[in-house]
Amino acid sequence: MALATLVRRGSYHDSVTLLNLARALRVWPSVREVAVVMGTPANRDLLARASLLTAEAATATANDLVVVVDADSAAIAEDAAASVESRLVERALRRGDRRGGRPRTVASAARRMPEANLALISVPGAFAALEARRALRAGLHVMLFSDNVSLDDELALKRLAIERDLLLMGPDCGTAYVGGVPLGFANVVPRGPVGIVAASGTGLQQVAALLAGLGHGISHAIGVGGRDMGAAVGGLMTLSGLDLLGRDPATEIIIVIGKPPAPEVAERVQSRLRAIGKPAVVCLLGAGLSEGTEASITTVATLEAAALAANATLTKSAWRPRAFSEPDARRRIAEARRELAPGQASVLGLYAGGTLAHESLLILEPLLGPVSSNLVDRPGSQGLAGHRVLDLGADEFTVGRAHPMLNPTARVEAIREASGRSELAVLLLDVVLGHGAADDPAGDLADAIQTMRAQARGAGLGLAVVATVVGTSGDPQGLAAQIARLESVGAWVLPSNAQAARAAACIAGGEPVLDSLLGRSRARS
Amino acid sequence: MEGGVRITRMSREVATRVDESLGATGRVHSVFERAINLEWPDGRLLALHGPGPLLSPFAAAVDHVGPLRSLRVGIPVTIEPRGLVAGAVVLTSRQAEVIECSVEASRYLAEPPPRHLLDWRGRHSSSLDSASGVSARALLAAGIRQHDVTRLIAGAEALLGLGEGLTPSGDDCLVGALAVLHYVDGAWLRRPGPPVLEPITQAARERTTAVGHEFVRHAIDGRFSEPVLAVLRAVSPDDHRQAVSCLLRLGATSGADTLSGMRLACRSLAA
Repeated sequence: MALATLVRRGSYHDSVTLLNLARALRVWPSVREVAVVMGTPANRDLLARASLLTAEAATATANDLVVVVDADSAAIAEDAAASVESRLVERALRRGDRRGGRPRTVASAARRMPEANLALISVPGAFAALEARRALRAGLHVMLFSDNVSLDDELALKRLAIERDLLLMGPDCGTAYVGGVPLGFANVVPRGPVGIVAASGTGLQQVAALLAGLGHGISHAIGVGGRDMGAAVGGLMTLSGLDLLGRDPATEIIIVIGKPPAPEVAERVQSRLRAIGKPAVVCLLGAGLSEGTEASITTVATLEAAALAANATLTKSAWRPRAFSEPDARRRIAEARRELAPGQASVLGLYAGGTLAHESLLILEPLLGPVSSNLVDRPGSQGLAGHRVLDLGADEFTVGRAHPMLNPTARVEAIREASGRSELAVLLLDVVLGHGAADDPAGDLADAIQTMRAQARGAGLGLAVVATVVGTSGDPQGLAAQIARLESVGAWVLPSNAQAARAAACIAGGEPVLDSLLGRSRARS
Repeated sequence: MEGGVRITRMSREVATRVDESLGATGRVHSVFERAINLEWPDGRLLALHGPGPLLSPFAAAVDHVGPLRSLRVGIPVTIEPRGLVAGAVVLTSRQAEVIECSVEASRYLAEPPPRHLLDWRGRHSSSLDSASGVSARALLAAGIRQHDVTRLIAGAEALLGLGEGLTPSGDDCLVGALAVLHYVDGAWLRRPGPPVLEPITQAARERTTAVGHEFVRHAIDGRFSEPVLAVLRAVSPDDHRQAVSCLLRLGATSGADTLSGMRLACRSLAA
């Protein structure tokens, strides 16, 4: 029995809200009992009779909201209690009861909140440029969540932003943190000394979540949109973001995340980082990258390595990359392989996060050989046989339905379709938590995973399910509970996408891959 | 006019407050999706919600609640000649219908217990079935049945602040029981002798939430929400069904817990 308590002083919420909060917590795996009540003497007595009256709950008064969670582990109980805080804050923000109500235009919103300095624009692409222009002209930084904005519009908007010394984050910018405020799809992370410029939403989330796990927070994280580092846009916002972080006294180290830029943009980024002079980590996910440090700039090949390198700089410790952080990884890989039948040797990656899928592709191909994918434009890349990695958030999978971070349908369908593949050895998945993501993303996939594994067993086959959960203990869904949900259906959950992809490669490829990975890891450390 | 809101209906209590407290300044106490509460310097509350029946005896219904959601907890609210003024929002009440929320206004002498309540088969919240809840309800029922002041007060005190919700389930149950008592047996509640109501008022101040306290204080004085009054006044089976259905829609379990208290009082009086 592990108890966690949340007391919100003088907190008033209608009874339907309180009931829904309690219901949402009761379905968490490993949660035994939940109390969501006002701290009246009678309710404190009820809690005491149920052995739920913690020292903190005992201090509550009649007008305080008390949440007590009893779970199998302290981590799950604390996650569950913390999720109530996140849900209540989200609800308050949705209701617009902080200030300004629900304005219908950017202009009226700006009038109601004259102190606001940023507009988040999420309207259909055809209207997005117009609204972004209005916001910039009103003196507001813009996070442009919308996609389908033309390259010409993007260029014009970014030039207008630079003229006015403003940021234009996007288009198709899914994640950012400004002054500690998470925007779009974002995990709950602390404020801290790490500034990030990212052309990748889930890449930013992976690095921010791993940093949070290492005890480091974010000063600002600026999303620039996937095309910014290309030749056409020329890194306009990447460079503006770097300048901002360079001037920001709270930012001690800068991380740049994206895909390989145009060569001239890469040179400008390196040159700007050298001029800023702060320690920097550059993670531009591409094939054949070599990791290393030159002056104050460290180049890394994976998102996990970006977080580890930043951690090493902040803690003044050595950076020791490892293939796996779990000491029993070799044993678990061997166990998974024992369940496979002859001929089971392929990996299927089904991803909600585009950058995570891209990272897996880069890790799997050198270890296993060609991997087909909707991410690469080359002959045969869409084939059904062999290894395959799919970004299910890509346009072809989201026509007429929400992104897989919100709606699991596309992924559940893809898992069902793959169930008959006798050569399949590993199902590789990501689960992304945080504000904006689905309420129970692991739970949404669990039944399909369980069914797929049962069908494989029925056919005399094995099936390894390898996953990573991108999240923090403060996320509304609860990191520990989401991991526990996946583990309850037999998934092996690794602490990063890079490790999950390596584990998938080892299970499918066997000892040669495992030896090559661990050997290389030993040599580098 | 942005921020202009019209009060269409208000309880006699609210009307009196607005008419007699010109210049008084209160504050926004709490903001919900469909309602807000204002608090006055004397600690009393005034609820504002959307069109429809008054959901408390201290409520006013407005023509649209949208502008109210922009109000922040803590901002001042002043009663001015043009209406209630809170930030950019002005609530005018000049043409509002005034509603009597007192049981006395709608009862005849020697009303029988509303028998349809005896047959209500709905479920109240689980906290009323806890050991504390069962014991409290038994005390309250015995007190009502035997006109035993000590047990009635003990039951009421044990119910106050018990269970889920901003108005805890125990408060709702007690309010329901008091509604039936006022309706059927009001004279006994106010008879000379050991006081029944004052100790409950005192206990409510200490044992429940601010919103629960306000409901109980009005219930002590015989004032209730329109859905509760409709259940008491229902005559035909169709009226009964409609009134009960309306009350059940209140809150997560507030309506069911109130009906449970009303049934408890009816059964005790009929025993």
